[in-house]
Amino acid sequence: MTETKARTRGRVRAAFAEAGVTGWLHAVDIDSGAQLDAGADQPVVTASVHKLCLLVALHQQAEAGRLDLSEQTTCPPRDRTPGPTGLAAMLDDVRLSLRDAAYLMMAVSDNTAADLILERVGLDAVNRTTWRLGLTGTHAVHTFREFLTLLKEDTGPGGPQALTDPRVIAGLRVLDPAATNHSTPRDMTRLLAAIWRDEACAPEHTAAMRRLLGLQVWPHRLASGFPFDDVHVAGKTGSLPTVRNEVGVVEYPDGGRYAVAVFTRASSTAAVLPPADAVIGTAARIAVDALRACRG
Amino acid sequence: MAQPPLSQRIQRLERELGVRLFERTSRQVTITKGGTLLLDEAREILARSEALRATARRIQEGRSGLLRAALPPDLAGDTVAAILAAFQRRNDGVELELHELTTADQLAGLASHDLDVGLIRHPCDVSGLELGPVLRHELGVLLAHDAPAARSEAVPLTALTGYDLILFPRAQAPAVHDDLLTTCARHGYTPTCVRHGQGPSFTRGLLLSSRAIAFSPRDAHPAQDPDLTWRPLAGAPLTLRHSAAWPRGRGDAAALAFADTVTDALAATATAGGDLPPTPLHLRPAAEYWI
Repeated sequence: MTETKARTRGRVRAAFAEAGVTGWLHAVDIDSGAQLDAGADQPVVTASVHKLCLLVALHQQAEAGRLDLSEQTTCPPRDRTPGPTGLAAMLDDVRLSLRDAAYLMMAVSDNTAADLILERVGLDAVNRTTWRLGLTGTHAVHTFREFLTLLKEDTGPGGPQALTDPRVIAGLRVLDPAATNHSTPRDMTRLLAAIWRDEACAPEHTAAMRRLLGLQVWPHRLASGFPFDDVHVAGKTGSLPTVRNEVGVVEYPDGGRYAVAVFTRASSTAAVLPPADAVIGTAARIAVDALRACRG
Repeated sequence: MAQPPLSQRIQRLERELGVRLFERTSRQVTITKGGTLLLDEAREILARSEALRATARRIQEGRSGLLRAALPPDLAGDTVAAILAAFQRRNDGVELELHELTTADQLAGLASHDLDVGLIRHPCDVSGLELGPVLRHELGVLLAHDAPAARSEAVPLTALTGYDLILFPRAQAPAVHDDLLTTCARHGYTPTCVRHGQGPSFTRGLLLSSRAIAFSPRDAHPAQDPDLTWRPLAGAPLTLRHSAAWPRGRGDAAALAFADTVTDALAATATAGGDLPPTPLHLRPAAEYWI
């Protein structure tokens, strides 16, 4: 039985409400173009999801011959863009290629690796890339370092503990799409579809990007909605206080492939909030099941 | 051949603005860079025009000196009275339209600009809001006076095992509801049954006739009721947090005065020592940000 889109949308919204979040979702069948829209044009804060745009810009520049992905770059331990993973967490000198930095940026959301690539690629190039792909609601205004500095400034002297204070949360500029890196769910599924259809770059480059998206280590969001050994999930998360996002592609053994973008904002200020992570998978699954039912 | 009305209107708009908004070929239409730059502004204008209509309706009805404010349904009667009296003293010219609304309903009203200011319970989604200081009220337990747990001076949450919990319906403030239950569980109390309700008579009936308890701040329980007992919880694990809230950038004098009045009234009974107890916060790697 095919559910009507309105009913599916209702189920997605109910899942968000149950998990204590406000959420926006867009899901697309990459091959048929069938879609499900639950707030697909809402301007949203991307946070680390913007690393996906940077990855595409990096590969486009490599394709154009402006850089070599195996080019070595050095990363001294001093003054790294802060973060809890990858180079950002390491203590000593690192020497690695641009594409290995891209691996760290995508697999563990390494902020230092992202800024290392961004220094080489440039913020303007990232915006040119998204612009040329028709992502008119997507724009980066900050490097990851600038972004985290802004977060730190607005958090104030109280440190991370202050982030449980509703008044501090209400004043964070990084949570305002108009003031920071932003996109829409529809733009992000469009970007993913361009990668999966080999439209963003030449096939060797899109294949490299798909590989990296498939190497992301986090199991708690999009992937949690598809607990099947024969279903492949590739994605990129983005997180900030109260914000939990993931965009990705779910591939079924029968060839069905679906681009899904889920952006959420939690009521609770808790940093650890498993239901808010899991609902990204739950909502994506509701949407993908509905799209698969349409396929017949 | 006559062009469809939409395309005529687009062309008229392009002439009026002197900017080409779309690239047209025989096969497709794409938005121009100029069009995109204007799109954000246009969206903003649409949102503002909604607000303008709301204000116009109020002026039309001759109610521009009106402040639409809200308080949560289970606020202590004395606190409500104190807020009203103090606000009338400070703001003689302003007509106050006071609503009794849950946090969820207040958030919806503040977002649609049907409400100017409210008193919301945290945590909740504070997108697009400005907040007054956050005030904390420790919760105690309300139970039948002959309940065994009522014999302790301060009741540990574990002593409530076996009692049903009477709690406000989750939809009123989902995150507050979940936080309360999570904290209870962490401290050893998982109610067999959560009964959703909050009217004082309904609550009193359940407290007296079945093995049930409710949580309430000290000032909110009916002190003169001989059949019910209020006891603090050992270690004060549960608190309610409130703050005044108004839509960002729309805090006019009347709204801010109401926010101050509410804050003062609540501060009289609030737990001292700021908003939050100094517990550590361990960010995990999946948080992705680091400060």
